[in-house]
Amino acid sequence: MSLPRVAVIQFPGSNCEYETARAAELSGLSARVVRWNRAGGLAGECDACILPGGFSFQDRIRAGAVAAKEPVMDAVCEMAARGMPVLGICNGAQILVESGLVPGWSPGRIEASLAANHVPGRSGYLSSWIFVRTGPHATGSPWLCRAPQEPVPLPVAHAEGRFVLPAGTSLSDLEQRGGVGLVYCRPDGSGAGGFPWNPNGAGFDLAGVANPEGNVLAMMPHPERACMLWQVPANLPGPWGDRRRSRSMEAVSRGPGASIFDSLAAYLGVPQG
Amino acid sequence: MDEALKVAEFVGRMPTPVELHLFDTMWSEHCSYKSSRRLLGTLPTTSPDVVLGPGEDAGIFRFASIDGTGWDIVVAHESHNHPSQVLPVEGAATGVGGIVRDVYRMGARVTGVMDLLRFGDPAGPAGAKARAIVRGVVSGIWQYGNALGVPNLGGDTTFHPGYDENCLVNVVAFGAVRHDSIVHSRVPAAAASEPYVLILMGKPTDSTGFGGATFASADLEDGSLHAVQVADPFLKRVLTEANFAALALLAGEGVEFGFKDLGAGGIACVSSELAASGGMGVDLDLDRVPVSRDDLPPEVIACSETQERYGLAVPERLAERIVSIYNEEYALPALHPGAGAAVIGKFTAGDEYRVSFRGGEAACASVEAITRGIYHERPWAGSTPAPVEPQTRPFSCPLDIRAMALSLAACSRRPVFSYYDSEVQGTTVFRPGEADSCVSIPVPGCPSGLAAAGGGSPWIGALDPYLAGTSAVSEAVRKIVATGATPLAATDCLNYGSPEKPEVMWQFRRGVEGIADACRALGFSGGSPLPIVSGNVSFYNQTAGGKAIPPSPIVAVFGRIGVAARAVDMSLKRPGDLLVLFGPRRDELGGSLFYREILRYPGGRPPSFEGGLEKEMALAVLDWTGRGLVSACHSVGEGGICMTAIEMALATAPSLRCGLDLRIGPDPVELCAENTGYLLEVAPDLVPELPPFSSVIGRVTDDFSLSGEGWRLDLGDIEARWMDLLASVVWREE
Repeated sequence: MSLPRVAVIQFPGSNCEYETARAAELSGLSARVVRWNRAGGLAGECDACILPGGFSFQDRIRAGAVAAKEPVMDAVCEMAARGMPVLGICNGAQILVESGLVPGWSPGRIEASLAANHVPGRSGYLSSWIFVRTGPHATGSPWLCRAPQEPVPLPVAHAEGRFVLPAGTSLSDLEQRGGVGLVYCRPDGSGAGGFPWNPNGAGFDLAGVANPEGNVLAMMPHPERACMLWQVPANLPGPWGDRRRSRSMEAVSRGPGASIFDSLAAYLGVPQG
Repeated sequence: MDEALKVAEFVGRMPTPVELHLFDTMWSEHCSYKSSRRLLGTLPTTSPDVVLGPGEDAGIFRFASIDGTGWDIVVAHESHNHPSQVLPVEGAATGVGGIVRDVYRMGARVTGVMDLLRFGDPAGPAGAKARAIVRGVVSGIWQYGNALGVPNLGGDTTFHPGYDENCLVNVVAFGAVRHDSIVHSRVPAAAASEPYVLILMGKPTDSTGFGGATFASADLEDGSLHAVQVADPFLKRVLTEANFAALALLAGEGVEFGFKDLGAGGIACVSSELAASGGMGVDLDLDRVPVSRDDLPPEVIACSETQERYGLAVPERLAERIVSIYNEEYALPALHPGAGAAVIGKFTAGDEYRVSFRGGEAACASVEAITRGIYHERPWAGSTPAPVEPQTRPFSCPLDIRAMALSLAACSRRPVFSYYDSEVQGTTVFRPGEADSCVSIPVPGCPSGLAAAGGGSPWIGALDPYLAGTSAVSEAVRKIVATGATPLAATDCLNYGSPEKPEVMWQFRRGVEGIADACRALGFSGGSPLPIVSGNVSFYNQTAGGKAIPPSPIVAVFGRIGVAARAVDMSLKRPGDLLVLFGPRRDELGGSLFYREILRYPGGRPPSFEGGLEKEMALAVLDWTGRGLVSACHSVGEGGICMTAIEMALATAPSLRCGLDLRIGPDPVELCAENTGYLLEVAPDLVPELPPFSSVIGRVTDDFSLSGEGWRLDLGDIEARWMDLLASVVWREE
């Protein structure tokens, strides 16, 4: 069979498109970087779509706000409405929120925001490795179905990544609607308990939010920067750090972020090795 | 004024305003190295690895071959000192913006940048200004580099009161290019047989950075703000994508072309240098240059240093298709008012540089005269004073070690690095602070790692300008070797005071001699020296009163490790492992952290340069790491063995919390001497035969402390403060 096709949308100012495409290919998918203003639809040409990280349109107005209004997002919304897998990473997550696809309770309306980080005694951009665990609906998600139960280390790098939901939204509301995709936690899986394990002050420690159907996921951490074990810092606590420090580590050993792309590959029927 | 007369002589009449600015710009210290050129010729620049040495904006060396395709690394190194002192955010941002252009324009993808920063004393009398500059410079670096999508792979941050009024912001960029796709900055030979035009693309030309090249070479004074350029990483990112589409089109057509970024000297520089290096003349039409406003005088259009622009010399028949890549496919005019690509001139046979503006001739000169520049033989005089040691050296162990660890010189740089995106592109193996140098995988699909690190100490520079040069090279070499990578090439940036002062010229000469000697001693490709493949000179770094900065040659070294995943970091791995020291300690503590922080003593004999030993040790480290014997390695740096050991322990995973127990008593020379060397963690069953310069000096423990014979320092007690000190001093006051 021909490989499932993933479109990685390149907006002006995107800057993670190439490694995101490579990460998808490492999981056995066929990936292509697609320029935002290129003519033609998307749905007929690909089986899934990823909005990569970066600073689309210079973060004008708000991060993701301008890209969300581009015609190519009509095509992405159409894919989402047809139940096809759509993932936004970092700036891509900001675009999904600004386009109303996430949390997607009333389609087309902006119901959440990714606000400036709240970190005690510090402002601006923050690069760091954190741990996430999956929410209760992971098994049905095209992006999380292969994610392990254990905490997964991933890097974050952003200035505006704090998920804010409408006032009055409770965690159980969110869980019932399938919105809890990924949650920041401590290396042992217990609650993040604020900074540094929650790196931006996100409500309910949210690192990734899904739509009710589960096919659209907006996540702030960068799985494409953690697909190989050599990308993992050697001083991380937990089994991934142990593996990274091990003398027997191979140059081709896969990393913790691979599970996001492996999930999609499994969901789209790529035989798993 | 002399130079104005010379211009008149060259053109044979009263020069036009465009001509005056053109020559002024092209002959400024920044563009033509009029005080330094001859001396720089003494640096070693060749080895079997070198593809392109100094001469263009970046150097190139061979890196790897996969499936029969050769891949090279392009490196560039510059200063952005004066702009960063005046407007730290914009100055540092355009520093990154300028250096990446030098690498992109060789046809390479930039895979990393590195910043070598020298600031005034944040805790000194002028601390408020120094702190504001640190915040501004770090902010400018992250705002530009993170948005552009180029990983920041570290560098270093050093404080010295000699930089209170003149910080140093040295920037290094590197990237990978296919050997058969290197682009040069000249009109190709094919231009003799078919018409070639000059396309200008990017931001519309405005008046920012007008006089920038001359500004960088002048003393700092008020009123020079207009000379700082305005950076736009967003536009640069889109422009870069469009450039690669244009280069792919040209490669697909199989035509020759020339490509150059616009930096110092703007359009004047790009057009004259493209023409000169291709042996041609050029006709420029300034009316065709996209401008930000209609009232710019011709000399501003020709010489301003507006950022985010490139020039491309292509066959006229392809010009329309190239222009449409920028203006239609990547929609530059829609993304930034006035941005885009336009044909602004054509190359001509002969040597004439002609500029027309509003129907008249704005300049007409010889290309050769413009680009040749002028040379000044500057007088020099000076000598290194005999070192004077302190009368007594009281050492309270471990309290003094604790005090050194919790100094601004030795505390964690994580507060700086935490602002940088060090992992974009997904190729980073070691982030800043994890190992002696950052390691990345610049060629996707190839397992080889590129290690990059810098060196240069103002404390040694102040004591001995020759050792400033040798130690800058050897420090950077050690940082590369400690990860298991073999040094292949180096770049330098020579930061000094006014070359018009004989004492400064003497410091400069000694620094260049030091670099040259160290490079000759530390080559790793057969009998060749370590080649300097690119570099930059920055003069006039001084206070308002004319006091020069300490001699500050800064060197970056680049190395290769065959399998990047096997590179060695500095974090301790296993209790029970042995700690091996390479490099004897000597009573040479001048400029050491111990003298500075504990004794508050500025003098003393600095560590001498021992080229033979340095190289033998490096070869032994590479042998051990290559055989997989080394679990962690850290070169001995500021603070000597005690601080190097503490850094290895503090880098350990929080779940492990390893410490070190040393077989060393409370001896300041043994613990604090900063002579060259390495600390290596080796499992007891793996220790090979020890070379003569080495000894087992301790072992890894499961106690989070540094201890020795009769003393113990609890690391849990200092860790939080060590991590946070820089942030609390520099950022927390905001």
